Amino acid sequence: MCNTQGDTPIRLKRRPIAQSIENLDQLMNLEKGRMSRDLFWDRDIYEQELERIFARCWLFVGHESQIPKAGDYVSTYLGEDNVLIVRQKDGSVKGFLNTCPHRGNKVCFADLGNARQFVCNYHGWAFGIDGALKGMHASETYEAAGMDKSEHGLHPVAHVDSYRGLIFATLDPEAPSLAEYLGDMRYYLDAVFNMDEGGTEFIGGCVKSVIQCNWKYASENFVGDILHAGWTHDSGAKAMVGGPVAEVHKTPEQSYHVNFNGHGWEFNQDIVGNCATLGEKDLLKYLYVLQPKVAERLGELRSKMIGAISSCTLFPNTSFLPGQNTFRTWHPRGPGQIELHTWTFVNKSAPQEIKDKWRKGTMMTFSPSGVFEMDDGENWEYSTRSNAGFVTRQQDLYLGLGHDTRVEDTDLPGNVFQGQINEANQRAFYQRWLDLMKADSWKTVPQRDVPKMKEGV
Amino acid sequence: MSQPILLLKRADLEPGKVRKCEVGGVALAVYNLNGTFYATQDGCTHATASLSEGDIVDDDCIACPVHDGTFHIPTGQPMSFPCEHPIRTFKVIDEGEDVLVDLDQESDEAADAV
Amino acid sequence: MNAKTALPEIGVDAETQRRVEQFLYREARLLDNERWDDWLALMAEDIHYWMPTMENRRRADKNGTYAVDRGALYNDNLLDLTRRVTRFKQPTAWAEDPATRHAHVVAGIEVYQGEAPGEFIVHSTFVNYRSRVEKDNDLLVGRREDVLRAEGDSFRLARRKIIITQSVLMAKNLNTFL
Repeated sequence: MCNTQGDTPIRLKRRPIAQSIENLDQLMNLEKGRMSRDLFWDRDIYEQELERIFARCWLFVGHESQIPKAGDYVSTYLGEDNVLIVRQKDGSVKGFLNTCPHRGNKVCFADLGNARQFVCNYHGWAFGIDGALKGMHASETYEAAGMDKSEHGLHPVAHVDSYRGLIFATLDPEAPSLAEYLGDMRYYLDAVFNMDEGGTEFIGGCVKSVIQCNWKYASENFVGDILHAGWTHDSGAKAMVGGPVAEVHKTPEQSYHVNFNGHGWEFNQDIVGNCATLGEKDLLKYLYVLQPKVAERLGELRSKMIGAISSCTLFPNTSFLPGQNTFRTWHPRGPGQIELHTWTFVNKSAPQEIKDKWRKGTMMTFSPSGVFEMDDGENWEYSTRSNAGFVTRQQDLYLGLGHDTRVEDTDLPGNVFQGQINEANQRAFYQRWLDLMKADSWKTVPQRDVPKMKEGV
Repeated sequence: MSQPILLLKRADLEPGKVRKCEVGGVALAVYNLNGTFYATQDGCTHATASLSEGDIVDDDCIACPVHDGTFHIPTGQPMSFPCEHPIRTFKVIDEGEDVLVDLDQESDEAADAV
Repeated sequence: MNAKTALPEIGVDAETQRRVEQFLYREARLLDNERWDDWLALMAEDIHYWMPTMENRRRADKNGTYAVDRGALYNDNLLDLTRRVTRFKQPTAWAEDPATRHAHVVAGIEVYQGEAPGEFIVHSTFVNYRSRVEKDNDLLVGRREDVLRAEGDSFRLARRKIIITQSVLMAKNLNTFL
């Protein structure tokens, strides 16, 4: 796929673009809010997702704060492709497939660390942090064979770029720029990742778990589904704050769904609603003190989003919760499984005790032992698994909430819908999914959304 | 005894750094360890690699840039896998601003080692 | 597992060993039977209940496999534990209804004198098997390092460190204590 890049040699053989599954349009009728269950079960659809979603989109790979020094690396995934994201000596970030070009073994078995080189355990092929093959065990024998080391470096990911500390990578050399890919969603991202001029950092390591569900159930939940919270998470809310989840469906005039290029954010303007569920008053005070300063930096609306009841998914599989400060990627592992990686983000300039409380708060609420997440996994597992039934699988699903809620007369970037109890973002998420699945390259992906923000902002 | 050969000026190599110098047809790795200069062969004894492209670690060892095996710079002794055979050291002579090397003699530390 | 005890390991008499074993076996039974309040009553006021997550790092990496300021599934004080129990007891705790079936198997119990008089350092291994609905079965195996504090004719749990073998938790949630 990256065979035309720079001086990288042409790869010996690559399977031509897989023949697309026919009649993809029949999988959904978004106008009527209907969708097929095949999306969550079919193996062929999954294989096509790996190629047309995960080997094509910009995917989150790490936060700048995780790899501050040259040689710092994290091992992560683009779909099911294991990649190493490595800070270079010149401060830039590169990414490589974590596989030796000799026999294919993993070259790095650690989750993270600092390396001067990556050495394959199998035959001692050794790669610099820039991915170049530097040598191997018994190197004389390769020299005698006339092997050119410059042709056998680690396979690079096509592009790496970052926005507000969040590092993304794509395996597709033809992908649009990250700025274009995120588009107007950057306006809202600033409410969280640029609320403070010092920016954010990840703290407390990564918590990983497996859920036996289709990845899209998790992504679409965070793209727009606050609706489930009042029901699914009643027990968690009572544990943390002693009462039910706020009845956000009663105040739609103060809340929105916004989306762009399949990314989506549902939010209201209560400043601290999400944060309140951590049960730590000091965190509320921190946000209340910060809010007027954010209003000066970013304006009134975004200052009220900094910890409000809200959730966001960046298409396809990265999500976060403002206020609760959990950041997560749902890595696909077949049509019926995900590997969930979660981190805690905080403002870099926040006092240490505030950071510690957020680290603890994400653990108490949105981790596998957290009182909220505890009830999500089972919902998604059985939304997936029930489709094993042949007749069950023929039954449509419904996602028709908020059909006539589009706000046309607004200066807000993106596609704006009134009321956070809505399924507009979910429909936009699946429309983007369908557009990408039908397109044989980035060139034929329709540009439905017109950006209000300039690309270079 | 051969003539010492000029390697470089003291100011040309910062403390904690290593660089490659070719003198008398020999490729050397020259090190500045907190103001004391050392010189060893540049080629690794394990695989084809230039030690001067590696990093100085644990105060006074050079980590090979290929497999990360290490050598003790003052004595040339191998310190960690996969390095097994010592690297050749050379006697460095300080003359004010000049750093010279005697290609016929080992470092003092290597000569003292049993 | 890189759990290390700096203190010298000074053994205890057979009767103390027996009483500590009995305490841990009873604790396991309370958890198997979801007797959450009775279980909470075993905790000291200053309990630190900690279950870090494991990171795969090279042996040479001085940061180690886990640390107190890194990822954790539990890093709790008494209020945190009480909040978790509060959720378990809600009729809307959907992932607990129908009830999860638990088996907490405790073995390899070693008891040593603790730092303060009346405190004991207790090592144990555990196997935790949870079954839900038709065939959701989750297995966790690990090692614990506790500090028990004598109180009356029993003990309170003052500190627990739980080290599991998995780095990626192979389960959708962790709806029990270990």
